[in-house]
Amino acid sequence: MTSSMTSVLKNSAKTHRPNDTQLAAFGAELDALRERTLTDLGERDARYIRRIYAAVRYTEVIGRGLLFFGLFPPAWIVGTLLLGISKILDNMELGHNVIHGQYDWMNDPHLSGKTFEWDIVGTADHWRKTHNYSHHTYTNIKGMDEDIGYGVLRLFPEQRWRPFFIGQPIYALIFALLFQWGVAIQDLRFGQYFKGKKTGKEMLEEMKPFLKKSRRQLIKDYVIFPLIAGPFFVPVLLGNLVANGIRNLWTYTIIFCGHFTADVELFPKSVLRDESRGQWYYRQIRGSSNLTGSKLLHIMSGNLSHQIEHHLFPDIPAHRYEEMSQEVRAICQRYGVHYNRGPLVKQFSQVIWRILRYSLPSKYVPIKASA
Amino acid sequence: MTASQTLKRLVAPLVDPAVYDFWAQKVHPTLSWDRCLARVVERHVEARDTVSLILKPNGLFAGFAPGQHLNVTVEVNGVRLTRSYSPSDAVNKDGRIRLTIKAIAQGKVSQHLVHNCQIGDVVELGRAYGDMTLPKEPHAWLFVTAGSGITPIMSLLNTLTQRPLQQPISLIYWARTRADLCFSEALHEMSESDPLLKIHTVLTRETNRVDKELDGHPRESLFRNLVPDLERRRIYTCGPHGFVQSVESLLADKAAAFQSESFSPAAVVTTAGAPVSVFLSKSNISVQIASGVPLLEALEAEGLKPAYGCRMGICNTCSCQKQDGTTTDTRNGNTFSEPGAVRLCINSANSDLTLEL
Repeated sequence: MTSSMTSVLKNSAKTHRPNDTQLAAFGAELDALRERTLTDLGERDARYIRRIYAAVRYTEVIGRGLLFFGLFPPAWIVGTLLLGISKILDNMELGHNVIHGQYDWMNDPHLSGKTFEWDIVGTADHWRKTHNYSHHTYTNIKGMDEDIGYGVLRLFPEQRWRPFFIGQPIYALIFALLFQWGVAIQDLRFGQYFKGKKTGKEMLEEMKPFLKKSRRQLIKDYVIFPLIAGPFFVPVLLGNLVANGIRNLWTYTIIFCGHFTADVELFPKSVLRDESRGQWYYRQIRGSSNLTGSKLLHIMSGNLSHQIEHHLFPDIPAHRYEEMSQEVRAICQRYGVHYNRGPLVKQFSQVIWRILRYSLPSKYVPIKASA
Repeated sequence: MTASQTLKRLVAPLVDPAVYDFWAQKVHPTLSWDRCLARVVERHVEARDTVSLILKPNGLFAGFAPGQHLNVTVEVNGVRLTRSYSPSDAVNKDGRIRLTIKAIAQGKVSQHLVHNCQIGDVVELGRAYGDMTLPKEPHAWLFVTAGSGITPIMSLLNTLTQRPLQQPISLIYWARTRADLCFSEALHEMSESDPLLKIHTVLTRETNRVDKELDGHPRESLFRNLVPDLERRRIYTCGPHGFVQSVESLLADKAAAFQSESFSPAAVVTTAGAPVSVFLSKSNISVQIASGVPLLEALEAEGLKPAYGCRMGICNTCSCQKQDGTTTDTRNGNTFSEPGAVRLCINSANSDLTLEL
């Protein structure tokens, strides 16, 4: 067998799609796994999320505390790192997951998906719309899931090349550093304003919640805490800036690894027509990729290292994904559905490759309706 | 407004109640920004499967009137559950509250409070409610209770007997057996010390009855014998639904006044398609919808426009608080009777509902 033949075979194994009857059984098995996990939710999960909440609070207080002694470099470094960790935990394992309603069953008003607010410039309400609804319902459907390149990046040959994309390695870097801002304004659709489809007044009205939230965040990190530090204003301000930056880079890395690795697929809008439960599950799996690694990686990524399980079961507490993933993999294997996973370095290299490769012209591949 | 209340209002925009509670509770377990938390400080066994818990609430407790009920929220296996219980004692000067709870078979909260609750545990309390309270002027009373219906009555009696009675009071107290009677000693002492207070116990399943213990179900002859001046009594009755109904039909038009309270879960509609009434508490409107149909669809059919997203149970956009009633998850058929978040697109009504919409 020649090497090119092997690669063709490999590829077809990766894109293998069971027929509709098989997908129905496939969906039923995933539904059963979901039910088993739901019935088992209880004190263990409540204790877990409260421990995460405590970790957010302690790392924040110790981090901010150390930054007050920021003229002493080790204190500044450790303080900044701890504050960065606090923000990462708050945004990912706590905020992202609670906002999905993963802990609504606890009936704790402080952990309610509809009201939780997080330490980030974007409002939780806005996120509930762009992420919980658009991204999770229309995952990897071109033209409907705005997370595909976030409107500034070309990551798939199915997106048309324009000269603008030549600069995308730079845009990608800026976008990573300012990730929280990018996510915050995702739903504001500035494009429509610039094209004259929205008046300045309408634009401003839509921006109000974002302006209020981001002003609060800016005042907190760059005015109040530096002022409390008095003479150490500058090290505290810089520490907060770097901590926000660390969080931005990390969340960007994790989120891009979840959907933009080499083997993930895009889907046309037509898949939505009469999409069955099994077909929906299949699309979620083929549009997502997992990270392998330690328990620490899973916690720090908000268990989005189990992006596949998260997309299959977005309302199940994310710390359950690790144990569910064993079964999901086994089910995928039985039905010949490719389960995309790899270590962070490998997966992120593939993301970088996509960013670089598709900044350059490539043959436009019309999206194929496999489903 | 006190100085501390003014200060609290001033700093409120800067405070995240969850963060405040987290740190404050490192100092004391019942400290909270806006929630009334209470610590269990004593536990007494009152009767078979029945305990009294003495609670010490934080400063946010707004108090209660004897005869009222409190919503008590506890966490059982990670889930916060709320049930209503009555203080069984008069209002204490030290602010402590005594709740008397009977463990009900399958009752998640009562089983937890009676069997697992420990001294030092923290529960959350709601505002007191209920209008079976004492008017200012003295009256001739007849209290008719069954089972744990004794608890609010006990609070009333403890309050009334703080001073010598001016008018007669009778209590007729139903229980299955002697072992099920609560407060036997306290009631005995009360009636010993005030001749105007008469206490009668009726045991329906006791095999060896002693003294003046009676038997059988509520009947007019029994009331007439025990309370010859029935016409001038004000009656409060409290107990299970069926019991209260039968007492009401016997006595409601024969006494000076009659008021009742009963406890039992709302009836569940079992036939899908049967109409149920949904009260939307934020908009203050009621609509009739068919049971068994996803709530989102059913509400839209009534011309309402609740927020929605995926319509398949993923995005949580249509999630709203169900304050009362039973729903079924349309994907797996599981029913859900506790108050809590429900996603309208994948839940249908099983009974009348109250939704926070």
